[in-house]
Amino acid sequence: MNGKYKYLLRMQLYNLFGINRLIHSRDKQEKQRSGVVIAFGLAAIAILVIYTTKFSNDMAGAGLGEALPTLMVATCSLAALVLTFVKSTGVLIGIKDYDMVMPMPVNTVSIVASRITLLYLTNLMIGFITMLPSGIIYIVYEHPPICSYLFFVCALFLAPIIPMIISLSAGVFIVAVSSRSRHKNTLSLVLSTITVLVLVFASAKTQSMDTAQISNLGVAMAETANKFYPPAILFTNALLYSDWTSFAIFAAVSLLPGIAFIAIVSHYYKALNTAVFSHYAKKDYKMGALKASSPFMALYKKEFRRLSSCTIYALNSCIGIVLLLVVAVMAVFFMPPSLPQQTQAAGIMDTIQNILPFALAIFVSMTSTTAASLSLEGKNRWIMCSVPTQARTVYHSKIAVNLTVILPALYVSAIFIRIAFPCSFMQTVLLFLIPTVYAFFISVLGIYLNIKFPKYDWTSEYYAVKGGAISVLAAVGGGMASSFIPLYLCILFPHYQMIIMLGIPCLILLATLAIYYKVCQTQLYV
Amino acid sequence: MNNVLEIKNFSKVYSGNKKAVDNLNLMVRAGEIHAFIGHNGAGKTTTIRAVVGIMDFDVGEILINGHSVKDEPVKCKSMTAFIPDNPDLYDYVTGIQYLNYMCDMFSVPAKERVSRIQKYADILKLTHSLGDFISSYSHGMKQKLALIGAFIHSPQLIVLDEPFVGLDPEATFHLKKMMRELCDAGAAIFFSTHVLEVAEKLCDKVTIIHNGRMVVSGTMEEIKGSHSLEDVFMEVVENERQI
Repeated sequence: MNGKYKYLLRMQLYNLFGINRLIHSRDKQEKQRSGVVIAFGLAAIAILVIYTTKFSNDMAGAGLGEALPTLMVATCSLAALVLTFVKSTGVLIGIKDYDMVMPMPVNTVSIVASRITLLYLTNLMIGFITMLPSGIIYIVYEHPPICSYLFFVCALFLAPIIPMIISLSAGVFIVAVSSRSRHKNTLSLVLSTITVLVLVFASAKTQSMDTAQISNLGVAMAETANKFYPPAILFTNALLYSDWTSFAIFAAVSLLPGIAFIAIVSHYYKALNTAVFSHYAKKDYKMGALKASSPFMALYKKEFRRLSSCTIYALNSCIGIVLLLVVAVMAVFFMPPSLPQQTQAAGIMDTIQNILPFALAIFVSMTSTTAASLSLEGKNRWIMCSVPTQARTVYHSKIAVNLTVILPALYVSAIFIRIAFPCSFMQTVLLFLIPTVYAFFISVLGIYLNIKFPKYDWTSEYYAVKGGAISVLAAVGGGMASSFIPLYLCILFPHYQMIIMLGIPCLILLATLAIYYKVCQTQLYV
Repeated sequence: MNNVLEIKNFSKVYSGNKKAVDNLNLMVRAGEIHAFIGHNGAGKTTTIRAVVGIMDFDVGEILINGHSVKDEPVKCKSMTAFIPDNPDLYDYVTGIQYLNYMCDMFSVPAKERVSRIQKYADILKLTHSLGDFISSYSHGMKQKLALIGAFIHSPQLIVLDEPFVGLDPEATFHLKKMMRELCDAGAAIFFSTHVLEVAEKLCDKVTIIHNGRMVVSGTMEEIKGSHSLEDVFMEVVENERQI
């Protein structure tokens, strides 16, 4: 690796969170947009830090400070594992600037290392957020020896590496397997969805283990983390017992796979990208009949093709509704038969039945294909802008795709949930009705925010869908908050449940209509 | 002959008070091929984008067949075809899907679309590749596909930004022929180019723009006289610099 690695990395960093635009843009609106992205990011960081600090403080205050080191590593690793996986395909392989970077007089190790370093830096930030507050509280409460400080500081930098490499390996494996297929996008999407579901359910499973036996959730989590993630034990031993050997092994198992991964991917980097960028060209087309559609249908079909062609887009925008479907199926087939009776006996059945529509709405609010749909037009947007159709027809087609993704899966899930949980007629109607209102809300909110905060200048779809895409963050964050708050209020004020259940969706519906009206007034320009 | 395109007192100011185009006036009549020439950053693309309704503007008026681009954008767009300088197309659809999409958007009758696509795809030697994804196309093939997409709905005005970049010599020859045929049928073409030899041979009228202001506009004969268009362009630009 030579010194050019840092130039490659610097160019990558320019695109991260719109920092470069904030510094150099002369356009006031552009600066405002970047400012909002950064403010949003800082607010999210602040919330996470407060939450971590409070949780760690409560644990240490209850005399469970010794469980903190394990929890720190486990939380950081889990976050890095999931967040890296969703980026793995779009950032490392199949990037749009591949043709620009590869002809440069720089070896592939530098290129791969610069890309991984960018991922590492974002994971490092997550690591600092999840580990630093807990670490400080651990030091304050437990007064460990000086060497533990060194271990802790090193662990801050080492902890994200292993999960990052695991996720990247899974991502690269999926790309390698699917690139051989004629339907590589579909295959990649299916494999990625399965991987995310496995990750999510495996983490939920490990967290819920033994909680019945052990009263304290934190200790239970620490125990399960130690059971399923050996590096957590090494770090815990190093910190608790000043064990240099454990620390050395922890450092080695973190660094060596990272170095090996860079070496292996660098070796196959060109081959992998060639496979991704090579396309089947049969050159045997013969003209046949063509089916005519209305402009709306033409836009709708195009929009659907966009969704199914881009793994990172489909995975991020549809995972919420897929999760709901899986949870609903599991509720019917895997829920202990005695649970409804137990909840009935505990007197919480009514509350559960009443909050179910909002619980479904949370999953619905996570599903917004619209929030990135304009950004994803990218350099193609001249077509959308120059065709003879009203801007609102374009918006309608994007909203319709989101509703097509949500509504069938939602209704099937609602039927399963209704089977699993007995409900009254009114509760059943609301089970279908309230999430439907949220489906319209999130679809319209997504397109509105994407009109306000478009991101057209991406080099990988990842940046339009996730990395600093304020429209996606705000739509999903706003949507989830709007469904989580009434759910929480229902639990907090059981006597006012019916008012909340009818009132809040009415407000959401009014907000949807107001936003929709505003969207329809907006013209589309390049 | 009627005016297909009329640009009246058009100005465009970007943020930071940079005037990209300053009080531009020009007309393109039916049957006319009109070249729009200027150095990089002269204001050609800004003007073209405003004409095709993909960029907003505050000052001036642009009319297509008498309809205002600002007030009746959909009506104007339905009569216009546009190809940008670097036509990025949807990589995730096949060539035929893209063309059928354009036919849908421009309401080309179902019965006619196959024959129209066949005609232009055969001319530009792209028929056999229409079933392949656009992502597998070369730059020139994408350019050809965008051209077919522009010609199939028989527009009354075609606006092209550097249409000859990336085309092979055979396709360039056919494009020039297609442009002339369309204009002979009563349409008009307004295009920007840096290839002055092509403009000189192909165009009926020419407008030269410099630093956002129109410097010269008229028929090709009036503008170049006995000189080459390149000589005239260099002289005009040099004079403007001295001013």
